Amino acid sequence: MEVVWAVGQVGAVWVAVVLGLIVLPSALGISLGISEAYMWVLVKTLEWATIRLQKGVKKPQPQMPQTPTANGIIERDETPMEKEIARLHRADFEFSHIFYFCRKGFEAIVDDEVTQRFSSEELLSWNLLTRTNVNFHYISLRLTVVWVIGVIVRYCFLLPLRFTLATIGITSMIVGTTVVGQLPNGSVKNYLSEVVHLTCSRILVRALSGTIHYHNKENRPQKGGICVANHTSPIDAIILTNDGCYAMVGQVHGGLMGVIQRATVKACPHVWFERSEIKDRHLVTKRLREHVADKSKLPILIFPEGTCINNTSVMMFKKGSFEIGGTIYPVAIKYDPQFGDAFWNSSKYNIVSYLLRIMTSWAIVCNVWYLPPMVREENEDAVQFANRVRSAIARQGGLTELPWDGGLKRAKVKDTFKEEQQKNYSKMLVRNGSIG
Amino acid sequence: TGGCPEGPPGLSPCPLSPFPAVTSEQIEHLHRRFKQLSQDQLTIRKENFDSIPDLEFNPIRGKIVHAFFDKRNLRQASDGLADEINFEDFLTIMSYFRPIEMNMDEEQLDRFRKEKLKFLFHMYDSDHDGKITLQEYRNVVEELLSGNPHLEKESARSIADGAMMEAASICVGQMGPDQVYEGITFEDFLKMWQGIDIETKMHVRFLNVDTIAHCY
Repeated sequence: MEVVWAVGQVGAVWVAVVLGLIVLPSALGISLGISEAYMWVLVKTLEWATIRLQKGVKKPQPQMPQTPTANGIIERDETPMEKEIARLHRADFEFSHIFYFCRKGFEAIVDDEVTQRFSSEELLSWNLLTRTNVNFHYISLRLTVVWVIGVIVRYCFLLPLRFTLATIGITSMIVGTTVVGQLPNGSVKNYLSEVVHLTCSRILVRALSGTIHYHNKENRPQKGGICVANHTSPIDAIILTNDGCYAMVGQVHGGLMGVIQRATVKACPHVWFERSEIKDRHLVTKRLREHVADKSKLPILIFPEGTCINNTSVMMFKKGSFEIGGTIYPVAIKYDPQFGDAFWNSSKYNIVSYLLRIMTSWAIVCNVWYLPPMVREENEDAVQFANRVRSAIARQGGLTELPWDGGLKRAKVKDTFKEEQQKNYSKMLVRNGSIG
Repeated sequence: TGGCPEGPPGLSPCPLSPFPAVTSEQIEHLHRRFKQLSQDQLTIRKENFDSIPDLEFNPIRGKIVHAFFDKRNLRQASDGLADEINFEDFLTIMSYFRPIEMNMDEEQLDRFRKEKLKFLFHMYDSDHDGKITLQEYRNVVEELLSGNPHLEKESARSIADGAMMEAASICVGQMGPDQVYEGITFEDFLKMWQGIDIETKMHVRFLNVDTIAHCY
């Protein structure tokens, strides 16, 4: 009896602390500085760990120029095909052409640019999470002790705290939006809906120990516009809604996600599609166009890559989002992998284990840049416009641009791509007058 | 053969004769790549190469993949194709693309060059009879040009014929009207490439990824 009472007391204290220190400030939009203090301690610890690591390495390292691992492990010759073959040219056509393709083939086999984007970026220095470094070896007792302490802190203290917060966040989102949804349509409803969405977003961000830096807030998406961003994980949406209200676009899911979707759509005009509707592209475009045409509606949030990429590059943007019209507000999101890997490798982890990994990382730190709005020009088609927006996002976020389709995670290269390359090669031969 | 162990070896470099030593780091990279391609199995089959998008672009993709299973390249026999290769075989094929080292002497350089040219020769000589015939050469040209629907077979043929004639003139000199050029043997092939620096064109150079942070 006494035990139950004691546990009840502890529980009450716990909830009071959480409410007072975290939920209330989120609702009011103020910060108590706890996250900043946590981050400071974290950074100091990781710096110490890196120094220990450097001391622990026995053999002297030669001073090599630093090459970012994102570019792969082999030196690639980037000369375009025409130049390279012209160099090898001795007569009209001969054995030398095969050198070029042979070498390209081998380079692709040893290291290809695309597949490496679908697995997590490897860190240059260890951040005390074994999952981020493949070559973990024992270095020193002190380091291992710190690592063990880190594990205990993460799993026994941070995880329950974050789990509680996430539960509170999601519950209040569902309850709040359902309540607001009962009100008649009007400015009061819109205002309250924004308050609810923002508060719950902030709670959820704190549930992930997120530290987000927003840049260029003057370019924030306006009503009646379309916001496009690069996609790394499902929490991208939360990162963005932390700073503004958007109308989400997506497929209707079952389970908890479905409950959230149904509740939120009552308060705010999100656009949820049934699975069958998604197949019909014209229907999708029509609905989105109607939404955009209404200037009083919140900006739509779209991720044109279609799938999660590992945040080192931006892949092909699907042109559908760019055919709707209206103003596009590009946003670049770049996560700092030092504190936790936000990338969702959906072929390796399911959503539950992904969330578990996120909640047991140190923190989620990211930078969000709002880019100036873009409009499709007259002589541009949707694909060119999509590429222009993509370049702007890649440049701002420091990501590389790849012409590949994110769908390659699961499917093979389309034949049209292959033929393009072969056409280029044969065009070149014909031009050089070898047919005659 | 070389005695290279399966899986990432210890810190000592593994000499793959007749080539200079590969560093253990490069072997680890290649091993990780091997595991990725084989999907964590011990051997790779032809189908595993289908998962590389960059390779799809390549018109001679078929020949490159074939080269990995060619028993002549694997130094196992003078003919035939293997069904699957293990990591050691993978390294053997990769070794054909080793860049030249500064400290190699004349004899080593010569052997190096011969091995690379032999690899290329095997790519052309698809029936493994030691000669590149006109038909085999035509096949290669057609494959290289296969993507362009506007280019007819006739054009591809004339390119091949022209190149063979040039090869014949280098190797055999002036031919009589009755002489038939059978095909390019490996010696002729070597002659064609005399004086031309192919070693720098047929290599894949590894970047030196700084190992300060990999916890060794």
